[in-house]
Amino acid sequence: MRAMSVVDAPTPRAPFVALSTLWLVLTGTLCNLRCTHCLNTSGPDAPWLPPLDGAVARRAIAEAAALGVREIYFTGGEPFLHREILPLLETSLAIAATTVLTNGTVLTDATADALAALARASRYSLEIRVSLDAPDAETNDRVRGAGTWRRAVRAIRALDARGLLPIVTATEIDGAPDAYDRFRALLSGLGIARPRVKILPVFPVGRAAGDSAARLSDADLEGFDRTALQCADTRAVAAGGVYACPILAGLPGARLSDGDLTAARRPAALYHAACLTCHRTGATCRNA
Amino acid sequence: MPERVSEYRRIAVLGGVYANAEALAAVLADARRRNAEAVFCLGDLGGFGPDPAGVLPLLRAHDVRVVRGNYDDAIATGATDCNCGYTDPRDNHYARLSYAYTVAHTPAADRAWLATLPAQRRVQLGSHRILMCHGSPRRINEFLWESTTPDGLLRRLLADYSADVLLCTHTGLKWHRALDDGIAHAVNVGAVGRPENDGTPRVWYALLGAEPDVRVQFVPVTYDHESVARAIEAEGLPREFAETLRSGWWTTCLENLPAKERARGRF
Ligand SMILES: [Fe+2]
Repeated sequence: MRAMSVVDAPTPRAPFVALSTLWLVLTGTLCNLRCTHCLNTSGPDAPWLPPLDGAVARRAIAEAAALGVREIYFTGGEPFLHREILPLLETSLAIAATTVLTNGTVLTDATADALAALARASRYSLEIRVSLDAPDAETNDRVRGAGTWRRAVRAIRALDARGLLPIVTATEIDGAPDAYDRFRALLSGLGIARPRVKILPVFPVGRAAGDSAARLSDADLEGFDRTALQCADTRAVAAGGVYACPILAGLPGARLSDGDLTAARRPAALYHAACLTCHRTGATCRNA
Repeated sequence: MPERVSEYRRIAVLGGVYANAEALAAVLADARRRNAEAVFCLGDLGGFGPDPAGVLPLLRAHDVRVVRGNYDDAIATGATDCNCGYTDPRDNHYARLSYAYTVAHTPAADRAWLATLPAQRRVQLGSHRILMCHGSPRRINEFLWESTTPDGLLRRLLADYSADVLLCTHTGLKWHRALDDGIAHAVNVGAVGRPENDGTPRVWYALLGAEPDVRVQFVPVTYDHESVARAIEAEGLPREFAETLRSGWWTTCLENLPAKERARGRF
């Protein structure tokens, strides 16, 4: 039972400033892994959020370009399970810098070669973010599944060997204060000359959802610049609609339109426990 | 009433002084030799280098028109840190050191002056409407890197802010893009206080002319970087900063660099 006062408090909103960042939840929640903290409960079973149709993704990219988008991100699920990912990346890289978030475990050498060719052909940067949850295999595999560390590290090396400079993206799940330095040490140890690390908090949503009823209130946001929140300049396109941000993509409370980005340029409700994390940590799902 | 703007045919535009007064002096002398009618600075006067107090007298002596940068904003408002937004603890450590140094060596009068600087300036270059800002016209600390700034975004910013030419800095790396057959332009003028991660110690600024079409020329400038590197060491600032001035390779604060820009550097 939630306290009535929490339920009754008006939900604060973030203004919409401009469409700066477009996320495509390419594979929905379809993934070969089943990580314990996955923020949209992705996995190999029938996905609760279906993959995006290629035509829908192309339409979103074109609409975002017309709206002056700055960067495009592909996520899932595991985006490399989408059969159209390479042509879609080509479409995206023709108009903006593009990032793929991957678990790195299904990335073949042929795909890495294709990515390197796409990166060379575009004037915009192609970024590949490979997820790990700990610099050591044992801790990582407890979160991400047996054998995932070895396969992700193999992908990191394959990408680096082709000049793609992957960004290792980790969560603060192991709680170590020196996580950043330990990941950098891992990469340096692999002989990577330009180690790139991004650390994200664990969001209380999906498999890591807690039972806290705490939500953001207008009082929490007094004196805070709400235009600094991601949902002020970000939208996520998933099967069935446009959502306020990639964390909440697919959830009815974050749905802003039925697929039209222009119509989704309106204030987003800061209704979820994850909004509290976003506000408190100042985290961004973007690369920087 | 329409805003009154000055009109020029040839201007010099620089950014990112980063408390490197030696480099700034060399750039200003070069711009004068090349007959720039006016010199503009797009902000970030402090940070990194050893001589915050040496910058403002030079800007005054050369009548440089200045736009406020995010670093200037932080110093002017007495912010607790530079708001550089690094997540790498090593970068944060270096940022804190150089911010504390800049605060301690910026005269109070300079700080008050920083607070008066405009966030944007507009001038007319021949028939072209020029808009100057620090990061982007919509956000003082937005990074407009060459490889993450789409044509579509530039067209939108130029339309939203009623300009033909957008000038910015903040990233430390120069680039120029002509749009729509040269009707519109975007120029990141780079930085004069730090080399551009290309393995040489030279620094860069931009000359813009109306001939009558817009002409953009990036000018490399060499200066006594060794004396500045020694001053950095003597002041107890990070040795990595001195190394950057000598080698031309960025050694710190690399985490914001997009893949293409990062791949061109050594680290
Ligand atoms: Fe800046």
